[in-house]
Amino acid sequence: MKNLNLKKNIERRFFLLSALKGISFGVLSWRLFDLQVIENKKYDKLSKNNQFNFSLVVPERGEIYDRKGRVLAANRDAFSLYVKSSQNLNLKKILDKLLLITNLNEEDVKNFENRFKNLKKNNINVFITDNLSQRDISKIAVRLHEFPEINFLMTKKRVYPQGTITSHLIGYTGKLTEQDLKKNKNLINFSNLRIGKYGLEKFFDNMLRGEFGRRREEVNARGKIITSNLYEKPNPGKNLTLSIDLNIQSYSLTRLQNLNLKKSKFSEPETGSVVVMDVNTGELICCVSSPNFNPNVFTRGIKSKEWKSLINNKKAPLLNRAVSGLYPPGSTIKMAVALAALENGIIGYDTKFFCNGVKEYGDMKFHCWHKHGHGNINLSQAIERSCDVFFYELGLKVGIEKIGLMLKKLGLDANINLELNELRKGLVPSKKWKLDVKGTRWTPGETINASIGQGYMLSNPIELATMVSRIANSEFLVEPTLLSGKTKKFAKLDINKNHLNYIKSAMSNVVNSEMGTAYKSRLKIKNFKMAGKTGTVQVVRISEDEREKGIIKNKDREWKKRDHALFVGYAPLEKPKYSICVIVEHGGSGSTIAAPIAKDIMEKLLV
Amino acid sequence: MFSYNNKFYKPDSILKKLLKIDWLLLFLVLIVCIIGIGALYSAGDGSLNPWAINHIYKIILGFLIIFILSQFNINFIMNFSVVLYVFCILCLIYVIYFGVGDVKRWINLKYFFFQPSELAKISIILLLAKFFTYYPNNSKNFLYNIFAIFLVLTPGFLVVNQPDLGTGSMLILLGFAIIFVNGLSWNIIFSIVLVSLISLPIIWQNLLEYQKYRILVFLNPELDTLGKGYQIIQSKIAIGSGGMFGKGFLTGSQSRLDFLPEKHTDFVFTLISEEMGFVGSMLVLILYFVINLILIKEFLKEENVTNKILIFGVSFLIFLYIFFNIGMVTGLIPVVGAPLPFISNGGTSLITIFIGLGIIQSIRVSRNV
Repeated sequence: MKNLNLKKNIERRFFLLSALKGISFGVLSWRLFDLQVIENKKYDKLSKNNQFNFSLVVPERGEIYDRKGRVLAANRDAFSLYVKSSQNLNLKKILDKLLLITNLNEEDVKNFENRFKNLKKNNINVFITDNLSQRDISKIAVRLHEFPEINFLMTKKRVYPQGTITSHLIGYTGKLTEQDLKKNKNLINFSNLRIGKYGLEKFFDNMLRGEFGRRREEVNARGKIITSNLYEKPNPGKNLTLSIDLNIQSYSLTRLQNLNLKKSKFSEPETGSVVVMDVNTGELICCVSSPNFNPNVFTRGIKSKEWKSLINNKKAPLLNRAVSGLYPPGSTIKMAVALAALENGIIGYDTKFFCNGVKEYGDMKFHCWHKHGHGNINLSQAIERSCDVFFYELGLKVGIEKIGLMLKKLGLDANINLELNELRKGLVPSKKWKLDVKGTRWTPGETINASIGQGYMLSNPIELATMVSRIANSEFLVEPTLLSGKTKKFAKLDINKNHLNYIKSAMSNVVNSEMGTAYKSRLKIKNFKMAGKTGTVQVVRISEDEREKGIIKNKDREWKKRDHALFVGYAPLEKPKYSICVIVEHGGSGSTIAAPIAKDIMEKLLV
Repeated sequence: MFSYNNKFYKPDSILKKLLKIDWLLLFLVLIVCIIGIGALYSAGDGSLNPWAINHIYKIILGFLIIFILSQFNINFIMNFSVVLYVFCILCLIYVIYFGVGDVKRWINLKYFFFQPSELAKISIILLLAKFFTYYPNNSKNFLYNIFAIFLVLTPGFLVVNQPDLGTGSMLILLGFAIIFVNGLSWNIIFSIVLVSLISLPIIWQNLLEYQKYRILVFLNPELDTLGKGYQIIQSKIAIGSGGMFGKGFLTGSQSRLDFLPEKHTDFVFTLISEEMGFVGSMLVLILYFVINLILIKEFLKEENVTNKILIFGVSFLIFLYIFFNIGMVTGLIPVVGAPLPFISNGGTSLITIFIGLGIIQSIRVSRNV
C-alpha cells in the first residue's frame, strides 16, 4: 500500500517535470521560429555582411577631344600602392622603409595615416598613393618580398597631353575632399576617387565620372578571401567632343603670348585672352587665356609650394580670362550704342556731329583720342575712326537705359549658358543699379563715359565675341558653347536689318578703309575680308595736367597702368563665319596690338 | 516481479532479449545519429574526415553498448551503482591533479580521452535510485534528503570547480530533479530555494572571472562582439539566416567560412539550422520530443519504483542535454558548453547517453522476460 502511494507520488512529480519538459520544447520551438522565420531578414543581412566584402570599382573617366578628335584629356595606366591592414601591423616601420627607397608625397602619407586610423575592418587594402614614378615602382617591385603587406593595383591616371594649351578650358581633377562631400550629397566617399575641380572637368564631372561598379569578395572569419568577382560592372564616363580646334587654340595662344612671334621665348608672356566663335552655331573655336598653367601637375598631386606660387602669382595664371576676366569694353561697344540710337530713331544715317577733340559738359572735359578732333562726321565715319566725341553726343541723346538694353540684347551682362562654372557676368550699369549699389544718382557724365565703354561698364571676352556674333549673323541671339554638334534653336535677334547692315559696313570700314583704325590689319588673303572694331581702354584716369604736359607714351608707363588693347571682329564680310575677340591686358592700343593678332588668327582660320 | 533468476548470463536467450529491445526508440535514435553524421560531414567541408567518420565509430560503439547492457538484468547492473559512484568521485579528484586539457576535464587513456564528469551523470542516477530504494518512504525525512543532496553536490562541485559550469550545473540539476521526483517535501524545496536565493550573491562572488563574464555577456552579447559574445552573435546569425528552408546542404556560409565556433561539437545545431532552415531544426527538435515521449511511455509502463527513477533520470538527462544545447546556441541561456545528443562529435557524452539508453533497455528486457 505504501509502495503504491510512493509510486503515485513519484508519478505526480514526474508529470510535473514532464509538463516542464513540454513547455521547454515549446519555448525552444518558438525561439527557432522567431529567429528563423520572423527575424530571418535581419539575420540574413548580417550573415551576408559576414560573408561578403563589397568594394567599389572606379569607372574609367570619360575622355575629352577637340572638334577633330584630338585628345585633350585622357587616362593612362598607373600603379597604385596599397597596404593590407591587419591587427599587428607596424605601420611606422613599413612607411619608414618605403620612404627610404621612394619619394612618397608627404600629403599622401598623411592622408594615408588618417585613412588607416579610421579603419573599421581588418584585411582591407588601404590606398597609399598613385603618384609613384616608374622608377619608384620598380624599386619597390624588386624588394616586394620585404613588404608582404604591400599590394600594387592597376589604376588609371588622368593626363592632359596638350598641357598648358587647354589648361583653363579642360581644368583638372583632384582628390575628393570633405568639402566636396558636404557640397554634393550624391558623391560616394571613396578614398581614391578624383573629381573635376576646374573647367570642363568640373562642369561635366558627373557625366565624365561614370558610375561605380562593385566587386564582391567572399571572406572567411579570419579575413581570407575565398572568392572574388565583379558583381556590378562599372559604367564608364561619357566622352566629350569639344567645339575647340586645337590648331587654332594653340596658334592663338602662342600668337597672343609672344605678340609678334619673334619675341624672345624667355620674356614673360603677355596676359590676355582670345576667343573665336562660330557666328552661326555659337561653337567656340578657340578660347585662350594667358598666362596659363600645366594641369598635369594636379594629377601627380600638386605640391603646396607649387600651389602657393600659382595662387600668389600677380598675373593669376589660374584665372580663365576668357570667361571670368572682366574688362571695360571700351570702344568695342560703339556699335551697340549706335544700334540703340538707330533703333530708337534718335539719329539717321546722315546725322552728323562735330568733333573738335574735346567735349565739354558742365565744368568737365571729355577728350577724344584724336587730340585735334575728327571734324564734322556721321555715324559710319565715327565708328570707322572710333571718334569719341561723336559717341559722347550720341550717348547723351540716347540715354544710359536704352544703351544698356541694347548691350544686354547683344549679350553683355546677359545670362549666357556656357559650360564652365568659372563664367562671370559682365556689368552694364543703369540708373537703378547706381542707386542700388552705389547709393547715388546717375549723372550725365557717367552716360558720356558709358557710351565709349568706360566707367562702370565691364565685360568678359566671351560676351564681346557673342555681341559681334549676333551683329554678324544678324538673325539669331547666338549663344556660345564649348560642345561640338550641339544643335540649338536660338531666339530671333529682332533688330532692323538695314541698321545692322549699316553698322556692319561701318565695321568693315574700320578694317578695310584707309581711314579705319585697323586698316593695317586687313586680311592679306584673297577673297576674304574682315570687319571689326578696335578698343583701347584707359586703366587710369589721365588728369588735365598730364594732358597739357603731353601724355606719357604707353610703353613708358608702369605695366599695371598701361592701356588694355582690344579688338572684336568677324570674317568673312559677306557670309560671316567666325567672330573674334582679342584682349591684351595692358598691351597698349587696340589698333596696333590687338588687331594684328586678330588678323593673323583669322587668316589662319580662313585659309 | 522481483525476479533474480536472470541474474547470470544465459547465451540461449541473447536473441530473445534483443527482440525485446524497443526498436522504435533505437530507430529514432539512429535517424538522429544519421542527421548528426550529415551535419558533421558538412562541418568537415563535405568530407567524412575528420569528424563524421569518428562519429560513425562512436555510434556503432554506442549501439553495441545498448545491446550489451540489454543482456544484463537491471538488478545486476544496480549492484555496481555504489562502486561506480565512488569510482567517479575518485576520477574527479584525479583530474584535479593529473587531468589534461586546458581546464583539466579529461583523463588521457592513450586511445581516447575519458571525461569522468560525464560518467558521473550516469552514476548519480544509479546511486540515487539505489539510495531511494534502500530507504523507501523516507522522502519527507529532512536528514535523508539532505544526505541525498550531499551525494549530488559532491561530484557537482568537483565538476564546477574544474571549472566546467555546464556539466556541473547539469549534474546538479539532474540530481535535484531525481530527488524532487522521489517526493522531496515542498517545505524542504521552499527552504532550499530560499537558501539558494540568499546564497546567490556568495556563489556569484566565488565564480571564476570567465564564468561571470560568460553570464554577463549572455545577458548582453553586444558587450563583447569579438570575445565570448561573438559565439552567441554568430550562432544567432547562422540560425536566423537559415530562414524557412535553409541555405542548403554544404552551403551554409556561416559554417563554411568559419564564423561558427566549434561547429562540430557544441554549435553543431547551428549548422543544421543554417543549412536546413526552420524545417530542418524543427525536425531534429520533434525527433527529440518523440524520443522523450517514448521514454515517458516506458516510465508509465514500469511498475518498479527504482526502475521508474532510473528511467526518469536517463530521460531527464537527455532532455537537459537538448535544452542546454539548443537554449545555448539560440541565445536563451548562457554559453555553458553542452553537447547535442547523438549529433555533437563529443566522446564521453555520447557514450554516456548510450549507456543511459542501455540501462532503460535492460529494464525493459528484464521486465518482459
